Amino acid sequence: MPPEIVESKDFVAMQQRLQMLTKTLTSSAQVALTPKETVWTLNKAKLYRYVPQVPIEQRHPVPLLLVFALMNRPYILDLRPGASFVEYMVKQGYDVYLLDWGSPGPEDKHLKFDDYTLEYIPRAVRKMKALAGCEEFSLLGWCIGAILTTIYASLRPDDGLRNLTLLTAPLDFSKREQLTFARWTDEKYFDIDKVLATFGNMPAEMIEYGAKALKPVENYICNYLRLWDNLDNPQVVESWHAMNTWCADNIPIAGAAFRQLIVDLYRNDRLMKGELLIRGERVDLAKVRANLLAVIAENDHITPPCQTEPAIAKMGSADKEIYRVPGGHIGIMAGSGACKRTWPHLNEWLAKRSQRVQANQAPPEPRAA
Amino acid sequence: MEEEQGGKKPDPMEQLRGMRDTYMEAWAKAMGEYVNSEQYAEQSGATLDAMLSVSAPFRAAVEKAMVNALQQMAMPTRPDFVSIAERLTNVEMRLDDLDVKLDRIAQAIAKIPIQPPASAAVHTPAGHEASAKKSAKKSAKKSAKQKGAH
Repeated sequence: MPPEIVESKDFVAMQQRLQMLTKTLTSSAQVALTPKETVWTLNKAKLYRYVPQVPIEQRHPVPLLLVFALMNRPYILDLRPGASFVEYMVKQGYDVYLLDWGSPGPEDKHLKFDDYTLEYIPRAVRKMKALAGCEEFSLLGWCIGAILTTIYASLRPDDGLRNLTLLTAPLDFSKREQLTFARWTDEKYFDIDKVLATFGNMPAEMIEYGAKALKPVENYICNYLRLWDNLDNPQVVESWHAMNTWCADNIPIAGAAFRQLIVDLYRNDRLMKGELLIRGERVDLAKVRANLLAVIAENDHITPPCQTEPAIAKMGSADKEIYRVPGGHIGIMAGSGACKRTWPHLNEWLAKRSQRVQANQAPPEPRAA
Repeated sequence: MEEEQGGKKPDPMEQLRGMRDTYMEAWAKAMGEYVNSEQYAEQSGATLDAMLSVSAPFRAAVEKAMVNALQQMAMPTRPDFVSIAERLTNVEMRLDDLDVKLDRIAQAIAKIPIQPPASAAVHTPAGHEASAKKSAKKSAKKSAKQKGAH
């Protein structure tokens, strides 16, 4: 190539852009950097405690446990410094714990919601209460994590759960015409027995394809065009890189849990009908008594608002609130607007309800949904 | 002309980008409608079924052959590892149960009020001195008696 072209400004700029593009697409971003320690493990599950960053007298006495979905890594809650919900909450004085389900192996294909809600969560809660020295706690569940925490809150209402926060919770599966996943996994088209007989667990690649195929043009083309357009903007590239690292880091779902998700929930809507049995116990939403905050993403194509609202109305909590946020399934907690809208609201709601209740002090006034 | 009016040079790439985005938006909408249709659900289901019909027997045959080969070589197979992993999880559960019980015992013990023995009722330094003198006298008497006996 002639040297006048190679040395030209445009050529050098293009070369730099291509280098940046290659680096971003072929490497993993530095994620989950908030300091933490592993305080409990069981099978693949781990309970992390984040190192407090404020003096003890400024901390909220009620600890907060975060429970994420089964098919993605939970570090979306601690994506990168300055864009981490965990970091934000630790700085607000919360004693934050995160339950990481880990990646199930072939030996875990029998794990069901029953195991997650009546073995793993109660044991992690016990450990957290012992470490925090507090009999009460707050629980935040996101996506399938919200299903698990709701089941737990209904079956173990006397375990000390004071506050329950549900983010984009898929609980009501009755409006099938609005649920693309329900259509795809209909028994006419999707043979779940054949899939699980072949793979044991639901493979991560299939889950990733399913999530991306809901919006194929956005996920497979526009996403990369956005990166190309913003290669000169380091902030956008850094954010894109971290999010892309997380999106590509899927994990399988244990076979039995996936079967429950499809057969009991997507196909038969057993939770809302009050027919869901977990180790023989019927899950009754009216038994949820904890203070309740449900966060709904208005543009959520994975869990549309119709999957949460009717379930919240059925829950027995006296203090409940529905908070609607413009944004998508992940964007409301990890997008650029999260630190301006969702996180401050969660903090404000939880802070009022995370004080030590004195004998002569009444709990915070209930707010109607 | 435009440069004079707006003070900016028109960027042809900007216009192309705008056209591209409009096209992408329309395409995304059309694809969104398509993947949400019964037709797509049926087609994707059929594709998955065909793939599984081919791959499942192949996977089963490979696994069977692998198990046989490993057993011939006296090596552990996948089912062996699965079995060990399940047993380890059970052991972890038992340990966690024991941890709970130990915590409960420790809490119960901590609640029991500790009563000091009657002989150790005096804890003041003066009391210590007095008891020390008494014990010294006792031991002196004992040694004198022993010497007399010899």
